[in-house]
Amino acid sequence: MGYLDVIRTVWENQDLAARTLEHLYMFGLAMLGAGIIGIAIGIIIYKRKRSAAIVFNLLNVSETIPTLALLVLLLPVFGLGSAPTIITSIIYSILPVARNTYAGLTSVSSEHLFVAESLGLSEWNILTRVRMPLALPLIAGGLRIALVFTMGVVTLGGLVAAGGLGAPIQTGIQLYDKGIIVVTGLWVGLLAVILDAIAGIIEKRLEVRR
Amino acid sequence: MIPPDLGAATVEHLVLTYGSLFISALIALPLAVLCIYDKRLANVIITIANLLQAIPSFAVVAIVVPLMGIGFEPAIVAILLRALLPIIKNTYIGMAEVDSSIIDSAKGIGLTQWQIIKKIRIPNAYPAIFAGLKFAAILANSIAILTAIIGSGGLGTIIFAGLSNLNTDKILAGSLPTIGIAIFIDVSFSIVERLISPSYTAAKRK
Repeated sequence: MGYLDVIRTVWENQDLAARTLEHLYMFGLAMLGAGIIGIAIGIIIYKRKRSAAIVFNLLNVSETIPTLALLVLLLPVFGLGSAPTIITSIIYSILPVARNTYAGLTSVSSEHLFVAESLGLSEWNILTRVRMPLALPLIAGGLRIALVFTMGVVTLGGLVAAGGLGAPIQTGIQLYDKGIIVVTGLWVGLLAVILDAIAGIIEKRLEVRR
Repeated sequence: MIPPDLGAATVEHLVLTYGSLFISALIALPLAVLCIYDKRLANVIITIANLLQAIPSFAVVAIVVPLMGIGFEPAIVAILLRALLPIIKNTYIGMAEVDSSIIDSAKGIGLTQWQIIKKIRIPNAYPAIFAGLKFAAILANSIAILTAIIGSGGLGTIIFAGLSNLNTDKILAGSLPTIGIAIFIDVSFSIVERLISPSYTAAKRK
């Protein structure tokens, strides 16, 4: 059997097309959640600077917790499936997004702010029309880190019956089926690298525009 | 209820984590120094490191199986594949980004490249090196759980046993110690980092 036959057999038998869609669905939801919550937290701690240290310490600690440990700890609360997987992804991905949003908002140059103030912009307008657009490349960088974390956690979801591409990997290991392991492992790896590369291109574009 | 094999599993887990961290450091630190000598090698390694970092850990652990089978050694290799990169990257960037005027004056007084690396680049890179080691240790602790699925033993074995019949006691018994270890790694490395850093900043000011 040639390589192409192995790939086709695994692709069909393990229904990798459907698994990939499941995978991307969980990935999309988790990224959306992490993006909204992360940027919101970034803005809130920018507004209340005194809370920044506490929030970052808390998020830093959550980041050291092994992914699988957090995932299984959420099972008694949320049950098996995609819910604990998506929530774990979001918890890990909040830190890079919030940290970069905060850094982006605070790093705006004083010239920009001086001009904005001279034009008579309100504090809210300065935030939405000056600081946020200038912070965009850094926020995109945070989302790119979150993307990598989320791909990792969503793949682990296969272990807690969330489906996605982690499920056939687990099947492959349990059956000791090298074909399934190699094809699915390389496919999920390739998917992650491609998504990361696309995010990298977007990040660069934003950087140039700035 | 605490499973009877918790103690042995914890020891196995610690051996996996710190063992692979130690081997990673042993491989990564000399490689990072080589990168200082050879810029092309540095570019290749940093590019590969960035690329591999995007790949999910579960995929890395799985891919090791067709190559090496299952058990303790394949698990160590899987952890190595992950832990090596942040150490190389941080060490190299830390050493490469030393203020060029310091390097110039070192060259001016006739230090060889090896002397510059040993006496100037490495001490100045301590904070970056330790940040890399800490990150690698936290990664190793995380992946050492996952490698239980390929027969590495350790605390992950208890977690997977708990997962198979949704036994909350076992899930807690397996996962809580790993969180404790993660926090211990974070705190202990931060302390060492702080102990080492002031001496080098003080020396720099003299």
